[in-house]
Amino acid sequence: MDNATNDIEHAPVATPFILRQRQNVLFQLWRFVALNVRFVTMIFKGEH
Amino acid sequence: MARVVVLGAGISGHTAALHLRRLLKKDHEVVVVTPNSKWNWIPSNIWVGVGNMRTDQVTFPLAPVYKRKGIVFHQALATELHPEGSSEHAQPYVSIRYTDPSKLNQTDEITYDYLINATGPKLNFAATPGLGPDANSVSVCTPQHAVHASEELAGAIAKMKKGERQRLVIGVGHGTCTCEGAAFEYTFNVEHELRSAGVRDLADVTYLTNEFELGDFGVGGMTFHQKGQVTTSKLWTESLFHERGVKAIVQAHVEKVEPGVIHYEQLDGSKNTLEFDFAMLLPPFRGVDLKAFDAQGEDITSELFAPNGFMKVDANYSAKPYEEWRAEDWPHTYESPRYANVFGVGIAFAPPHQISQPRTSTNGTVITPSPPRTGMPSGVMGKTAALTIYDRIKMGPDAVAHKASMADMGAACVASAGTGLVHGTAASMTMYPVVPDYQRFPGTGRSNRDTFGEIGLAGHWIKYMLHVLFMYKAMARPGWHLIPE
Repeated sequence: MDNATNDIEHAPVATPFILRQRQNVLFQLWRFVALNVRFVTMIFKGEH
Repeated sequence: MARVVVLGAGISGHTAALHLRRLLKKDHEVVVVTPNSKWNWIPSNIWVGVGNMRTDQVTFPLAPVYKRKGIVFHQALATELHPEGSSEHAQPYVSIRYTDPSKLNQTDEITYDYLINATGPKLNFAATPGLGPDANSVSVCTPQHAVHASEELAGAIAKMKKGERQRLVIGVGHGTCTCEGAAFEYTFNVEHELRSAGVRDLADVTYLTNEFELGDFGVGGMTFHQKGQVTTSKLWTESLFHERGVKAIVQAHVEKVEPGVIHYEQLDGSKNTLEFDFAMLLPPFRGVDLKAFDAQGEDITSELFAPNGFMKVDANYSAKPYEEWRAEDWPHTYESPRYANVFGVGIAFAPPHQISQPRTSTNGTVITPSPPRTGMPSGVMGKTAALTIYDRIKMGPDAVAHKASMADMGAACVASAGTGLVHGTAASMTMYPVVPDYQRFPGTGRSNRDTFGEIGLAGHWIKYMLHVLFMYKAMARPGWHLIPE
């Protein structure tokens, strides 16, 4: 039974601006740096 | 002189072996026993499965690396553990059977002072009749499986190019599977390939999962703070499914796979069928078939291993209701409670319970993801066991064990949703801790600041960067140990 379709159809969808932002090379270069900082912070948090 | 034997050379075992060899003096011996001749960066098998990478880009032969590092390598399968030795051996030992073609099926016994069990999973296709590449579906669990999946996918795309509509089903092949993240990745990589091939309009893509809802990923879902709002991984994931036109069936246990038809049961007890032209369904995991015996030769397998074949470690395995589960139930040191010189790490250790809330169908069928313990946590566990063993060899057997609980460990997960330097995309997620701790973080069980999700091209670059970095690290190139697990 296709029991997730209704939820998927009513899920919020990214605006055209956000969709462009997700593929914009300059903006994504910034996100690449920011995400790496976040990941490194995560790695050194807690027991490891 | 001490000898440390590592069973398995996946992410966990290989990490442990490299760190032990780096730390221990050369008069100590590090031995790796693994049935495979090659190391595999499994997260990139997804890209092999859609034809965007070759198998030699995600694997390399282990023997030259181990020879260069001074690690003794046996390409063999561990069959028996004798942690108390036997009448013939005063020391503990492990029995092995060679898979190395030059010694095929010969047996041997290797004594040890310390043992790390990092044997990973047995891919339990047999749990679901008709499941797997030898039957009616494909898999991306190994490079060979991924190549097969890629060929089958190419066949489906060729049919679509001739105008023939195709039904593609991707997901998990049993109610207790783990690695939903990998199935999610493969779904969106396939969808990306269909668009690239110009045949998306002729494909019905369905994600079939045992998760209670989308975005669960076997970790009970996540709550994100994003742009001033609180959202959930459920909404976030559903949004991606909506954008990419992918259907989903959740709460499903695949009962059997016949040619072109999947039979599955859902939590409401309903029994359904789903027709397909292409199906990639991941298998459930169980522990490898490793037996254990005491000094008298009595079978003690059930004392060292849980019924699912995974090794019992320093976790709280007492049966209790979901509401009473605690973060501290999860293991810290990965030591066997019975033998302090034996460790179980990576997928090989038995989790005390699921992370997602357990559920059974009205027919009594368990439909709940098993806890993921691959990738980053796996590497950290391998290193933790290696550090403990190093300290004990150096300072004596009473040296305090190092700790790395999944309930106090963060994880970063980058789920590819399509490749390409400028057209690629991925869902990047971080969570802290992996196992929710409701005492420390009331409400969601995780730190709101450190639990996060974002979709975009940058995620694809990170996924590719991780591929390059971890292949480099696993090859033990200069400075490898500076790359975190």
